[in-house]
Amino acid sequence: MNTLLVLSGLLLFVMVLVGGRQGAAAFLSLWLNFGCLFLAILLVALQFSPLLVALVLGILMLALIIFVGQDDLLVTQTAFFAAVLVLVVLLVLMVPVEYWAAVQGFGLEDSDTLEGLSLLVGIDFVKVSIATAVLSTLGAIAEAAMAVAAGLSALLRQHPAISTRRLFHAGLTTGQRIIGTTFNTLFFGFFGGFLGLFIWFVNLQYTLGELLNNKVLIAEVLLVLFALLGVVLTVPLTALVMAKRVGYQRKKAA
Amino acid sequence: MRWKRYWQWGLLLLGLVVVVATRYNAPLYQQPLIQVTATQTLHQTTTQDEFHNRDRQSTQQVSGRLLNGSRRGQTVQARNTYTASSALDQRYRKGQQVFVSLTNHGVQLKDLKRDTVVLGLLYLVVAVVLLLLRWPGLLALVSVVANFALFFCAIELDLMWHSTGFLTLFGVLALLFTGITLRLVLGRTRQMLVVFLATVSGTGLAMGLSALTLALTQHQGLYFESVAYVTQVAPQPLFLAATLLGSLGAVMDQATDIVAALFTLKTDQPTISAAALFQAGRQVGRTIMGPLINVLLLIFVAEAFPLAVLLLRNGNSWGYTFDMTMSLGLAQSLISGIGIVLTVPLTSFFASRLFVRQPKH
Repeated sequence: MNTLLVLSGLLLFVMVLVGGRQGAAAFLSLWLNFGCLFLAILLVALQFSPLLVALVLGILMLALIIFVGQDDLLVTQTAFFAAVLVLVVLLVLMVPVEYWAAVQGFGLEDSDTLEGLSLLVGIDFVKVSIATAVLSTLGAIAEAAMAVAAGLSALLRQHPAISTRRLFHAGLTTGQRIIGTTFNTLFFGFFGGFLGLFIWFVNLQYTLGELLNNKVLIAEVLLVLFALLGVVLTVPLTALVMAKRVGYQRKKAA
Repeated sequence: MRWKRYWQWGLLLLGLVVVVATRYNAPLYQQPLIQVTATQTLHQTTTQDEFHNRDRQSTQQVSGRLLNGSRRGQTVQARNTYTASSALDQRYRKGQQVFVSLTNHGVQLKDLKRDTVVLGLLYLVVAVVLLLLRWPGLLALVSVVANFALFFCAIELDLMWHSTGFLTLFGVLALLFTGITLRLVLGRTRQMLVVFLATVSGTGLAMGLSALTLALTQHQGLYFESVAYVTQVAPQPLFLAATLLGSLGAVMDQATDIVAALFTLKTDQPTISAAALFQAGRQVGRTIMGPLINVLLLIFVAEAFPLAVLLLRNGNSWGYTFDMTMSLGLAQSLISGIGIVLTVPLTSFFASRLFVRQPKH
């Protein structure tokens, strides 16, 4: 039996057992996201623009993570709007930084993997590196936006007449609460993947100077930093979107 | 209060100075460095490989001023060949600082100096964290740095022991990580105890189940030969250790969120029963688990992007490309997912036991 099939069967089983209908929806959203990621890779391989593919499929994936299986529209719509906003802001930062750092494609450490492959494939790998950065941070942005929006929605239920200014500040406080654990999710998530690479570096006794300029390492570090920055920016932007939205609704009702 | 503000601005300014200084730190490097003063494209050719991929190869003449060593200040010339796709090479531009090697035959361009850009972005992240999230944000960064240091020590230890007991070492490391991180985020509280118990048992259970599944299915469909950067550790333990560490943060995140919600609930309603608390915990957990698993999926699988594109352009099938670049990342996501889901009832159970005082008989 295929291991991946058994593992996903096991995951579906525990998800439904613990989460019921919501668990099944989460399982569906996981596979739809994987499908989108695979589609993004296929499209780029077919020479569609990596930036356009990342932006369009990225927004679709944000929607999948945020809307599938969640019921509270105030939370999901606010989170989605804020997440798209963060994605656009990040993209504006990612493009110049990735060009400046020139960490696209592969490094000397990848020589074994690249053996026998043609590298002259006519696809701009700097753009591929930007697309990778966008896609790998999406999940973290969506999750943080949901957490802040959910916290504020709960606050609004308790104090329906709270001022939009105080709502915004409550959003920042919620952000302070979640930031520690979210940073750890990202840290461990990325560093689990770097384990082999780090053993390689220590084993071959790279110096600090070499590490600070190493193409493969810096590529990975930039991914982590973008993800951290994405999460931090999500906090005030979600709070802002929520405050504006509530303010607008009140004005309309008055 | 005022002093605190000065302190903050001082810190921000100091950081900026450090970032700018990396443009002038060439004397600190052993390897010769140049700053590119002029470039000139010599010739360009259009290439076509056996899979009919078209690309453009260019050769440029790079002039640069040496920034360190005994020949500091001298201008040298070198040639650089780059492609439009730049998978393993790059075009150099005026103003860039580049590592070179000086030999009797001339100057060879090695690699771009990247410390300024990485420290610059790091500085931006720290500054934004400090300005927006203040003290809790700083504490979160401190826990990341502490874990990073521990991570490095563990790798040193592993090399000293020649990777005997590799999985045990990283199992112990995972326990330490959990303890230190939770101590920093939650302090020494009853909540921390609940999260710790839930994280350890949830992750342990998921890893056990997965190891069992891997053994029973004889890891069919997983291609351990595709694990990158393998040195002295065999690919399979490396994969398991990477999965263990990768899921740890998300599992803690999940457990912390549930415990925080249940603690608030218990404070609001001190007489709440253990069963009601357990149900409430499940309710909170099931809304968070979906997004959290997606966070890990995207981290684990998006990294395959460049290699997957390259394999597809080299005429490989979708199936082969999936096997070689994504099967392991997907397996990691599924295993982490199982851990995250199992943590929901476990956290709720431990919280309902430890938060509700048992009636005395």
